[in-house]
Amino acid sequence: MIVENWDQLTFRVNREAYRSAEIFTRERGWVWTHTWLYLGHETEIPNPNDFKVRTLGGRPLIFCRDTAGEVHAFLNSCPHRGTVLCRESEGSTRLFQCFYHAWTFRNNGDLAAIPDADAYESSDAFKASMGLRGVPRLEIHEGYVFVAFDPDVPPLLEHLGDAADYMTMIEQQHVGGMTTLPGTQQYSVRGNWKLAVENAMDGYHFAPTHNTFVGYLRESGFAVTDDNQYAYNLGNGHGLLVLTGHGGRISMLWEPRFGEDERVRTEQHRAEMAQRLGEERAHYVADESHILFVFPNLLLFDIEGLSIRQLEPVAPDQTDVRAWQLVPRDEDSAARALRMKTVVSFVGPGGLATPDDIEAYEAVQRGIQATAGTAVPELDYSDMSRGMADEVKGVQGRSTDEGAMRGFWRHWIDAVGLEDGLQVHGERPASFLEGRDVR
Amino acid sequence: MTATTNTHSVRCQGRTITRPEVEDFLYSEADILDHWDYDGWLALFEPGARYEIPTTDYRPGWSPHETGSFVDDDWDLLRARIKRLKSRKAHAENPHSRTHRLVSNVRLSEHTEDSFRVAASFVVHRARDGHFDAYVGWYEHVLVPTEDGLRFRLRRSVLGHESLAAGARLSFIL
Ligand code: FES
Ligand SMILES: [Fe+2]
Repeated sequence: MIVENWDQLTFRVNREAYRSAEIFTRERGWVWTHTWLYLGHETEIPNPNDFKVRTLGGRPLIFCRDTAGEVHAFLNSCPHRGTVLCRESEGSTRLFQCFYHAWTFRNNGDLAAIPDADAYESSDAFKASMGLRGVPRLEIHEGYVFVAFDPDVPPLLEHLGDAADYMTMIEQQHVGGMTTLPGTQQYSVRGNWKLAVENAMDGYHFAPTHNTFVGYLRESGFAVTDDNQYAYNLGNGHGLLVLTGHGGRISMLWEPRFGEDERVRTEQHRAEMAQRLGEERAHYVADESHILFVFPNLLLFDIEGLSIRQLEPVAPDQTDVRAWQLVPRDEDSAARALRMKTVVSFVGPGGLATPDDIEAYEAVQRGIQATAGTAVPELDYSDMSRGMADEVKGVQGRSTDEGAMRGFWRHWIDAVGLEDGLQVHGERPASFLEGRDVR
Repeated sequence: MTATTNTHSVRCQGRTITRPEVEDFLYSEADILDHWDYDGWLALFEPGARYEIPTTDYRPGWSPHETGSFVDDDWDLLRARIKRLKSRKAHAENPHSRTHRLVSNVRLSEHTEDSFRVAASFVVHRARDGHFDAYVGWYEHVLVPTEDGLRFRLRRSVLGHESLAAGARLSFIL
C-alpha cells in the first residue's frame, strides 16, 4: 500500500487507499472504532439541557449537557429496538422520548419511564440495563470534546501528544478564552477524507491553486512568500504547518486589508499577550499561523481567524465536512464583524480559496481512476517524496514539502492494521525528523 | 405571515415601484448571471453594496457579523470575487458551471425612505463535472431606485437545504 524508499528517496501511496470500498470498511472498523475522534466543542452546548445531534464514523450520536451541567455523548439509538431517538438536529431538553413505543430517558442517560412497565421484569438491574448507551470514553482538552468507541484507547492527552499544546496555544490567545459561534458550514465533497487531510498539510499547492487569492492579497498590499514556513510531523498521525508568509489573522497578525483600527487593536493585544504569557510564548502564539491536523478527523485552521473543521467519511469518494468559527469570548463588535468577514472570505465552500482546494481534491478523486487496475501496477501510486532529500540531511522540512503527509500515512497504515502495508527500503536516516521543539 | 398584505407595489423615494418592475429586474439579473456576464452583474449594485449567503442552519435574526456564513462580502470582497471569477485561475469555476435560474414568489415591502425590501424564491440548477445539482431557497434583498433603474444595496440568498450536498460548493454566484 505504501512504499517508502530511502535509497531512491521516494514515498509512494497506492491509490486504492482513496478508492477501495474494502479499505473504507477497514477504516470504519479500525480507525473510526479504535481511535479518539473529535466530537465537538464544549461551547456548542453552553447551557444545561443543550444538545446537538452529530454522526461520527457513521454512528448517530447525541452530544449533550445534562441538567447538572455534565457533558455526554450517547448513541442516538433507542436501547429498546434501535430507533433514532432524537430526530432534531439541536435544541434544549431534559428528556429524550422515543416516538416508537414512547420510552423516555433523562439527559444523563437514565431510563425515566417505560409505558406499561409491569410487563417487564421489575428489578433495578433491568431498568439500569435499559439506560442510554454512552460512548465508552469521553475526554475534553481545552474545550475540545473527544470520544472513543473503544474503552481501551490510551488517555486522550497521550494520543494528542505534541498536538495538545497547539490547542492550548489557541485557548491562550485571548484572556477570556474562546467560544464557537452558531452558523456552521455544513457541506459535502466528492473526495476521500484523506485527500482533505493531505490538502490541509500541503503548502506546495498554495501558490498555483490559490493564484486568485494570492492576487487579492498582493493587491491589498501584502507580500506573499513561502520563506520560513515549515511542516512538522507531530507523531500519532498528527501534523502541523507553520506559516508566516500568508498568515494574516484577526487580532493576531495584521495585514493592510484589515485596516488601521485593527492594526491598533492587534498591537495592543500583542502587548497584552507578551505581558500575560511571556515574550517567548507570546511569540509562538501570536506571530505565526498554524494549520494543525489531529488524527483522524480534526483540522484547526489558525489562519485569517480560527476555524475548526471536522471530517466525516461517508463513502470512499465522499466526505461530509462541518466547520465552526472559534472566536474570542470577549471581542468588540467591530473586530468580530471584521473577523467573520475575513474568515469566510477564505475558508468554506463560498470563500475565495476553499472552493479551489475542493476542486483540487475532487479532481484527484476522478483522476486516479486512470490507473485503477492497470496492467502496469507501479503506475497506480501517488508520489509524496517532496522534501525527503532534505530529511536525510537533517534539514527541517518546509511547508511546501510533503513530510507532514508522510507522517500521516505512516500512522494511518498502522491504524488500519494492514499487514505488510508499509514497505521500507533502505535505512531511515538517523537525522529523520519528527516533532517540533519550541519550548 | 399575513395573507392580506399588499406586496405588488411599494412607495420609495416618492415613487411607486411595482412588482412587474422588480420582477423584470430580477429576471434580467438571472439572465446576466446565467450568461456569465459578471461585469454586467456588478453594475446592478450600488457602490458599497453587500452580498451574503448565510449557512444552512441559519435562523431569522442572526447577524452575519456575529455568526458563521458561506458568503459575507462587503463591497471590496464583492469586487474581489468578481475579479477572481473572471480569471482563468478560478479553478473551481474553470470550466464554468452552467446554471439556469428560476425566480418566483416575488413580494415587495417597505424598508426605509430610500430603499425597499424584496423577498423572492429561487431555484438554481447547475451542471458541472457530469453532475446536475439544484439549489433552492429565497432572496432577502434590499433594493434602491436610482435614475438608471433599480440597484442592489444588499443581495442575500438564503438556502433552504439542510446542508450543501456533495459537490455543491458555492463557487458561482447563487
Ligand atoms: S424502539 Fe424506542 S421505545 Fe421502542
Ligand atoms: Fe489550499
